[in-house]
Amino acid sequence: MYGWIWRHLPGNAWVRALISLLLVLAVIYVLFQYVFPWAEPLLPFNDVTVNEGMAAVR
Amino acid sequence: MRLRLLVRTVSEMCITVGAVIVLFVVYVLFWTGVRADTSMDHEISGLQDQWAGRPLSTATATATPTASPAATAPQQPAYRDGTAFAVMYIPRLGRDWHKPVLQGTGTGTLKKGLGHYAATARLGATGNFAVAGHRRTYGDPFKDFPLLRKGDTVVLTDGTTWYTYEIDRGPYKTVPSDIGVIDPVPVKSGFTAAGRYLTLTTCEPEWGHSHRLIAWGHLAATQPVEDGMPDSLSG
Repeated sequence: MYGWIWRHLPGNAWVRALISLLLVLAVIYVLFQYVFPWAEPLLPFNDVTVNEGMAAVR
Repeated sequence: MRLRLLVRTVSEMCITVGAVIVLFVVYVLFWTGVRADTSMDHEISGLQDQWAGRPLSTATATATPTASPAATAPQQPAYRDGTAFAVMYIPRLGRDWHKPVLQGTGTGTLKKGLGHYAATARLGATGNFAVAGHRRTYGDPFKDFPLLRKGDTVVLTDGTTWYTYEIDRGPYKTVPSDIGVIDPVPVKSGFTAAGRYLTLTTCEPEWGHSHRLIAWGHLAATQPVEDGMPDSLSG
């Protein structure tokens, strides 16, 4: 997978390394900005209230 | 050759997934705190700017906790959902511990500070002023919640008045469906008559969601902001 990407990047080794680094940073940005904020509420740390989902009952 | 490619691709996938999981842990443990601290500071400075622009003559502080709330309640604007309206100080959780209190307990709201249960009483009013906060992640506001003891002070200000609540009952463990804990006279709190109460809720265990920790208190004193900080904060 990574070998395939490397082979398809343009330029010499230095340019490829730089592009790879940028790609890695872009992926991390997308993860932190979009993917993780979406995934985090699926974990239990957000449940701090006693009436969660029970507003209709009250 | 085909097999080698397959093994290599699967290995690369595993390493990638592992790296993403490590990054996610970094996000949950560290990055949410950074983001929360930034937005809490933002909320607090926004409140302070708002209060600084308000003339002191509008300070309609209730002189004593026993005074009628009807006289002051109607003329104050309603809390807006997702908006900070007060700052909470709990000396037991740290000398510098202060967090904004926002209206509502939605997920997005709790990322920016503590959340006031919308259906409960206003700050300082008769009834139960109930506030929820994260135990872990998003700045860990209630990390040291179990340290709260009877007699601890919880001080809040809405820009016109300092409200000093005193904890009456330390951490009480209950289940999430136990909504009686935020009733105007909380069930099992030991309070029997109507009064000006405070309820704090957070999750228990620290990293789980099977239970909730509750602390109850009552309004012990109020003083207008012109008189300076309460002794429990400045002393």
